[in-house]
Amino acid sequence: MNYPRYYLLLLAILFASLDASAKAFVIGKVSDNPQKHYGYLKPMADYLAKNLSEFGYTEGKVLMAKNNRQMVRYLKRKKVDLVTETIFSGVIFKDKAKAELLLTKWKKGQKNYESLIFVRKDSGINSLDDFKGKTIAFEDPGSTSAFYIPAAMLLRHGLSLERLDSVRDFPDEESVGYVFSNEEINTSTWVHKRLVQIGALNDHDWNKSDHLPKKFRDDFKIIAKSEKFPRGVELVRAGMSEALKRKIKSLLLNIHDDPDGVHILERYQKTARFQEFENNIGDVVKEARAIVSLVDSKLN
Amino acid sequence: MPQHPKKFALSVFLLTSQSLLFTPFASGNEGSETTQQNPHSYLQLLTVLKNNKTITREQFEALKAQLLDHAEQLEQDKYVEDDEESLAIKTEGGLEVSTYDGQYAFELTGRMMFDMTSFEEDKNKLGNDSSIRRAFLGVEGKFDYNWGYELTVDFSGGEADLKDAYISYSGQNGWLWKFGHTKEPFSLEELTSSKYITFIERAMLNEFAPGRSLGINASTYGSNWTVAASINTQAWDDDPDDEGDEGWATTMRSTYAPWHTDTQALHFGIGLSHRVTDDERKVKFNSRPETKNTDIKFLNTGSIKKVEKISRLGLETAWVEGAFSAQAEFIMADLTRQSQDNLSFSGWYATASWMITGESKDYKFRKGSFGRLKPYSPNGAWEVAVRHSSLDLNDLDITGGEGYISTIGINWYITKQMRAMLNYAMVDNDEYANDDGDVLPSDDPRYVQLRLQLDF
Repeated sequence: MNYPRYYLLLLAILFASLDASAKAFVIGKVSDNPQKHYGYLKPMADYLAKNLSEFGYTEGKVLMAKNNRQMVRYLKRKKVDLVTETIFSGVIFKDKAKAELLLTKWKKGQKNYESLIFVRKDSGINSLDDFKGKTIAFEDPGSTSAFYIPAAMLLRHGLSLERLDSVRDFPDEESVGYVFSNEEINTSTWVHKRLVQIGALNDHDWNKSDHLPKKFRDDFKIIAKSEKFPRGVELVRAGMSEALKRKIKSLLLNIHDDPDGVHILERYQKTARFQEFENNIGDVVKEARAIVSLVDSKLN
Repeated sequence: MPQHPKKFALSVFLLTSQSLLFTPFASGNEGSETTQQNPHSYLQLLTVLKNNKTITREQFEALKAQLLDHAEQLEQDKYVEDDEESLAIKTEGGLEVSTYDGQYAFELTGRMMFDMTSFEEDKNKLGNDSSIRRAFLGVEGKFDYNWGYELTVDFSGGEADLKDAYISYSGQNGWLWKFGHTKEPFSLEELTSSKYITFIERAMLNEFAPGRSLGINASTYGSNWTVAASINTQAWDDDPDDEGDEGWATTMRSTYAPWHTDTQALHFGIGLSHRVTDDERKVKFNSRPETKNTDIKFLNTGSIKKVEKISRLGLETAWVEGAFSAQAEFIMADLTRQSQDNLSFSGWYATASWMITGESKDYKFRKGSFGRLKPYSPNGAWEVAVRHSSLDLNDLDITGGEGYISTIGINWYITKQMRAMLNYAMVDNDEYANDDGDVLPSDDPRYVQLRLQLDF
């Protein structure tokens, strides 16, 4: 009997079984529609897993969280490897789960975005000083650019905000009332139909006809613009090896030049490319943290 | 006895308060529930102690930080088990349930369409009528990430009529595979759901679209193109007599959209289908005058015998420019007959639409078809549209008739899921359009048709 041959066979079976134990590279995102976002993120998870095989990854997976708190738990328990989110959620993950900001994401083709506060041209409102006693429509309580940033702009201007039950309620004369419209098109329609006097959107939605029809836009004027924030960010979980981080970064930074990658980027929330953070990222993080803290303490 | 009684007392207090505050968190005993539910009362206690100067501000801050940290950790731990089992549940009238890892999903869907038609008769009695045009109830879902299914049944005819019934697989590099009963990839209007078509019924040339049959369908797409191909047998309820062989077909469609944005799109498409008929070798094309509320099919070839093959060619185009859109199709169906000359029939339509309220038609470039229109205003959206369509079933010895129908339509999209539609149609039939000899030819009726529809 040729024992060494059997040993080799056993070893081969052992290695094969080790290989078969799948290790997944997991992309995470906070989502209220996991079914939709799964389709957006899965091709990227597969792409990264395939190109990270040297680190033992055999498949790509997606894991959505229903809110930031759940994502923090996922990150702490290492259930996700890469998270794609806004800078505001990113700051929370950085602070509470020690996640590490990796790259900016040109989501929907945009490197940066800003919040716009607008009114009807014929409203008689010309500046933030005219907002007292009026009502503003934000999108929803989780929106970065259509709630947190514009709300912080008003609070920092010394205005007090009062939550209204419906667009038909009126705020105190010394306050600015606010309501949530749930969809961008509702915000723009409510302002146009004078159900509310003020609206807030980001500059991308301002130019999208299904969120703000052109004939509405022609009747609006912008009262205030925020500073610009990165449109999206990628974060990695705490405790990831430097070699793995470097490889993920390199793959993402070059994916727009990969013929296979273009299709994946298109699915990945119409991302044009990824980029290193600019030098002021520390200040941006500080500012995002300050805005979240201000709005949460005053309004939530 | 310690040398500094005050320090000793403080140490005892701190130790006691720490154990009171935090032991229950760690041990998870009954006391933890009380603490967990109300960390604020402990914070109040600390505040009182600080205000009474029993503890210093620094001690207060340190204890508070520890309290909040532990409270948050407890909150995190409380949800860990829930995370594993949490589901996303949504409803917009129907029901959508999915796991957060994308492994499983389930959706309950349905659509209801109620039609009323009033005819201005010409030569034949058509009869004013009302009907439930569609009463679909369906389920669709996903399991094990890449496998899916859809099962939709139409109950409007008084019995269950199977619509989509297939298993799908999407785990292969952007390809979607469907196995079962689904539409063959052919014709822009056929592949646009009845929920979203501009007029109450599809144009007459839809008679040439293969529609649903059993088979295997594969499709993929790029940033501005789609390709789909299928191999099919027959519809689920078609069965040749005397245990004869079924027919089979290969069908393909490709579309190209040089540009597509939220408000602009240009679409070109081509469809090809080659069908070998079943052992009976009989084919019939017939068409109602774009309303289901009459049984008269003015255009009717009757049963054409000894047909071996049907070859179809479809050409499509569509254009969206803001609130304006246009769409046109041409389909030609060639029949190869045994020991007789081949036949060729054709049809076409052209449509123009204007959304009065400014919305744009929703072009889905990944499918090469149109999707749901979302009204800008809470009061809904309004559309006015015109269509001219033609179907010619006359060739050689077959005189199925030729007809034209001009239609004006007004649509009110009450919400994104509800729509009221009003069509006024003028029918122009030729001297052969006699429903295979059952009615008087050259009949030119007009009718008004109203539909109320909703879907979920």
